Amino acid sequence: MKRLNLFLLCLLIVVGVFGQEKKRKPSAYNKQKQSQEDEKFLEKQWWLGFKAGANLSKANVEKTYSIIAPTNYEASTIGKKYDSYNLLGSQATIEVSFYFKRFLLSFQPTYQHSRFSYSNSFEWSSTDEAANHVQLTFEQEQKLDHMIFPLIIKYDIYGNKLRPYVQIGAYSALLLNATKSITTTGIDNAAGGENEFATETINVGATDLFAKYHWGLMGGIGVNYNLGNNVRLNLDAMYKLGMSNISSTENRYGNDRLSGVGEAMDDLTLDNISVSLGCLFPMRFLSSGFKTLDK
Amino acid sequence: MIKKNISVLFIVIALFSFVSCSEDSNPEYDTQTFTTIFDNNKFDASYFPIDMQETPDGGYVILGGRKLADNNFTGIYLLKADKFGNFVKEIEVEETSVNPVADFVEFQTKYYFFCMDPLTQVAQIASVDANLEAVTITPVQGGLTYPAASAFVDNNFVLLGYNNGDKQTVISILNADGGILETQGYSIGTGEDVEEPIIKHYIRTGKQYPFEVGKIANGLYFFNGFYNYTFSLVFTDFGDDPVGVVQGQQDDGGFSAVTPLNGNKFASSRFNFGDNYLLPNKELSTSGTTSSTDLGGYSLPELVSNARVKILRAAVDSKNVLIYGSDTKSKQIGLLYYEESTGKFISSRYLGFSNPFEIASLVQTSDEGLAVCGTTYLAGRFPRICIFKLSKDQLISDATVSE
Repeated sequence: MKRLNLFLLCLLIVVGVFGQEKKRKPSAYNKQKQSQEDEKFLEKQWWLGFKAGANLSKANVEKTYSIIAPTNYEASTIGKKYDSYNLLGSQATIEVSFYFKRFLLSFQPTYQHSRFSYSNSFEWSSTDEAANHVQLTFEQEQKLDHMIFPLIIKYDIYGNKLRPYVQIGAYSALLLNATKSITTTGIDNAAGGENEFATETINVGATDLFAKYHWGLMGGIGVNYNLGNNVRLNLDAMYKLGMSNISSTENRYGNDRLSGVGEAMDDLTLDNISVSLGCLFPMRFLSSGFKTLDK
Repeated sequence: MIKKNISVLFIVIALFSFVSCSEDSNPEYDTQTFTTIFDNNKFDASYFPIDMQETPDGGYVILGGRKLADNNFTGIYLLKADKFGNFVKEIEVEETSVNPVADFVEFQTKYYFFCMDPLTQVAQIASVDANLEAVTITPVQGGLTYPAASAFVDNNFVLLGYNNGDKQTVISILNADGGILETQGYSIGTGEDVEEPIIKHYIRTGKQYPFEVGKIANGLYFFNGFYNYTFSLVFTDFGDDPVGVVQGQQDDGGFSAVTPLNGNKFASSRFNFGDNYLLPNKELSTSGTTSSTDLGGYSLPELVSNARVKILRAAVDSKNVLIYGSDTKSKQIGLLYYEESTGKFISSRYLGFSNPFEIASLVQTSDEGLAVCGTTYLAGRFPRICIFKLSKDQLISDATVSE
């Protein structure tokens, strides 16, 4: 539903801009002089836009933490196994960019919903009785909502109608909300047969378990397509490289429900790949008819 | 132009202000607050803590028990954790010594506890260093048997034991070498029925009684144990007869924890046919015979039947508080905070979730936080030792009366 709303908003902007267009009659001025003035005008431009899309995340472990401390086996055997880029998230962005001679300085506040998961397993067995064997597996999924504040420099590589670009920048992120769910499954052979069981999923609010702020670097590519009526369609792909810890160091053990099942968050950075589709329209016009001279 | 530059500058400053707020790793946080469960992956392994001490390096040594395959008594288990709660070392003491009892006492850089010979039941005094490098165990003199509890008072040990030949509860004062300075026995009554719950306690097939021993301000010693057919709180000057007795209800009632405060005032708790009552600041008669059932107390239906209770006197933010730790019916460790001077309830905190958790020991740490040692049952079945470490700020928050 949210995605539909975003699409409709995008559509409204496009329709609105279409509706503003007026036919300009040819002028009697010197065409060469006019062309020079137009070129000079086009050296600078403010762009406002909106885009939305999907993203995938990958958590990188900086330091491992565990509530379970093995006394007679290697800690690595119960280590968390992180899944990479496996759960789809979403994002919505408002873009404000200033264009100057193919370079754009762009501020793109983004609401980002990202997800990542990991699992770990524990086993208990008897050397005397092979049937005495219990295995537990914890599947853990994190859902994070961040407000991302990126500052990006773009460079339009070439073209007029179709303008591919590269971009690089940095971002800071403000945590808005986080949830965590743990599903426990197990196999108990000691019950007289292979007893596979699953416990009820634990869902907890986990905002306190994550850092309020983190930051990172970003880079990507994209392309703008000029529709010829003041509107550019924008396809944007971005890779975000998390540079600071997304876990709360102070509240790592703050949730008793998670501690009880042996769960403590690692120190993590979060990488993210996103693809967005949107539209941009100019804020500086040559005339009251909202003509930008964008070719 | 200037306006644009200011705008860009503003954005950059905003960006860097967020960067400066990023979460940096802080080892102090990792020592102030943590939860650790020490796991052994053997299906038949069973460990439970008895008492815990903080070591000078900020770590912890835990005295625990373990299930023995070929002995009815409990084996001795020692565990060292560092200040982060990480496992450092464990010792499974040989089966020539069994039945470790609290208190686990720090004295002259060593940690002492009492245990016993499984064949003769003669009490032994054991010591270990803070790094668990070596355990030394020697029999106490005088043939004291069945140690039940100990305390460290005036640089001597006070040991509570049981003499099954004479059917007596025996209180003794010993030096650090195990030499007896004073001892006295008091009859538990006659008949097999009287002794049965005591033996079941030792082989852990019956109710675990909260044996305790210590000394109060007026110079009297006390023990919480069996006397005259009843689980009683007994005050003694090592005379032939007790100075005072607060009787329980045979083996179905009595005190579950006793901590002397000042004068005749005690922080205590009692059990009575399964019910539990907390008495955070109660004057007890140390002479004559009284009954614990007359003492009333705060009834706590949330606690398990005949709950194990641990009491810690703590100084929190220049205020003396009593922290009661006990086991709840929801299988959590409940911490209840009271003002020491008035006995007024302050707040509560519950530790643990999903797997069952049981209290064993409370320690106020050198960083003014609180360490709670207990048993949890991993996968709902494997008894393992756990530590909850609460920070100074958490403790202050818990011990502050909300207006």
